[in-house]
Amino acid sequence: MNKNRRPIYNILFTVITLVVFFGISLWISEVLEVRSLIHAMFALAVFLISLYTNGYIYGIVASLLSVMALNYAFIFPYFKFNFSIPENLVSAIIMLIITIMSSTLTTKIRQQDMFRAEGEKEKMRANLLRAVSHDLRTPLTTIYGSSSAIVEKYDALSKEQIIQLADGIREDSQWLVGMVENLLTVTRIDNVKMKIVKSPVVLEELIDSVLIRFRKCYPNQEIEINIPDDFVMIPMDATLIEQVVVNILENAVQHAVGMTRLILKVYIFDNKAFFEIIDDGCGIDKERLDNIFTGYFEKKDAPADCHKSSMGIGLSVCASIIRAHEGSIMVENNPQGGCCFRFFLNLEDEGNEQ
Amino acid sequence: MSNKYKILVVEDETNIRNFIKTILETNGYQVLCANNGSSGKTMFLSHCPNLVVLDLGLPDMDGVELIKAVREEFSTPIIILSARTNESDKVKALDCGANDYVTKPFGTNEFLARVRATLRSIRQEEGERQIGKTFSVNDMMIDYERRSILLAGEEIKLTQTEYNIVELLSIHAGRVLTYSEIIKKIWGYADSGSIKKLQVNMANIRKKFHEKPGENKYIKNELGVGYSFKDEDR
Repeated sequence: MNKNRRPIYNILFTVITLVVFFGISLWISEVLEVRSLIHAMFALAVFLISLYTNGYIYGIVASLLSVMALNYAFIFPYFKFNFSIPENLVSAIIMLIITIMSSTLTTKIRQQDMFRAEGEKEKMRANLLRAVSHDLRTPLTTIYGSSSAIVEKYDALSKEQIIQLADGIREDSQWLVGMVENLLTVTRIDNVKMKIVKSPVVLEELIDSVLIRFRKCYPNQEIEINIPDDFVMIPMDATLIEQVVVNILENAVQHAVGMTRLILKVYIFDNKAFFEIIDDGCGIDKERLDNIFTGYFEKKDAPADCHKSSMGIGLSVCASIIRAHEGSIMVENNPQGGCCFRFFLNLEDEGNEQ
Repeated sequence: MSNKYKILVVEDETNIRNFIKTILETNGYQVLCANNGSSGKTMFLSHCPNLVVLDLGLPDMDGVELIKAVREEFSTPIIILSARTNESDKVKALDCGANDYVTKPFGTNEFLARVRATLRSIRQEEGERQIGKTFSVNDMMIDYERRSILLAGEEIKLTQTEYNIVELLSIHAGRVLTYSEIIKKIWGYADSGSIKKLQVNMANIRKKFHEKPGENKYIKNELGVGYSFKDEDR
């Protein structure tokens, strides 16, 4: 609920509830003539108001109003205030107690809910941190070991050995760059409660940018591009969506064993832009298919040295980015082999397109 | 030809500074180093370098302030170093007069290519290339006098606006022009639809130049920042 609308909602709820219950009570007392029910009716109204509004104030106002209404309409003399009867004072106190107790209860429950959500987030963060620190150690070992070997044993090493060591350093630091980009993305989304700033991006320019970034790491991997000829603009956070496409392409290169074709396809359907990344590699195991987008956060005891497996963080990041864009992402195995990642983003209304 | 260009590197991280110094020196450039903004400014004034490589995040001042200070009197080219995700910083620095940016982390080849291109574009802007002459890159030739563009010997039909954009970018080849810079120079004013107008024109230009995504031969798009015309080796 929007913060600014909260007080209006609270006041409206209080007024409507009181009016409705007042009406019902009038009907009960006039038509059914069962006056003994009236107190219970107002107690219920006050209880409901304390339950569904924020803080104590609405409940207290409601209970005072209820006492007045009881006094005015339902206690002899009818439709006239009379504060000399002790019954009034007692019913006012009872109403107040109901209010305060139920308000306290609701506040407590709400707080507990918040704590639980906070704890859940904290747990996820701790899991992520553990998994990441674990994954960072492997490439850092290569980088530290190789570079100190070069520095300390420079004379004993042949040129080829030095190049080999330096190549290892380059490869593992490139992997680290990818990892850090993904982690930065996670914080970029989480910080603002999954809110992102979208601006219209030309599809062709996005694909261009994706390919340039991808080719820097994988210069020899061919990608078949299949995008609409028309001028297409999609509202998005370009940096994040670029990350999604690069992650999925990278995932294919690293995990699709036996891949010969990699296709990046975009098409427009039903006012949505569908992105498909299709490969003809080994496909994905059935058990992994279900939790491929969440797997990283739950992974507890993976083998100690399979650091490349942790590209799984890339897919988790993809899923949260697409969710933050109000889109949807899925993966399936192709009947003819390999797999297909598909996600969609909503287009602006068609009138805006040229 | 051995180049005697003097390059000032302003970067507070010792390791990055050393790495940049090493690759520049092994390629024949003279290198001066500064580890903060104020000493960068002093060194700039006393040595008059041909190019400045500037990190945006300095301990004592915002890199953009240094760009502004330099631009008050000098047109010395400036290449900024920045993180990938900060488009707004890049745009701000470019709008204040920086010539190009390199995204951290970067490789040797990429960095050297930018340095070469920036130095060349300045040399050309200074004299060799003026309106009335021609400009060519790959198999494209632009004739500024006749306002015509030949692609592999065949004339490309562009609208006035499209030609103006290509001309503007080619005059500054090798330099990234931000969306707002291009819009200001082409239309003279900017409104909410300007960026889209520019993007539509660029899409048409790309189509007429037969550009393929990821293999742009003439115009490079810098997502969220602007466009640049390719120089020979970029």
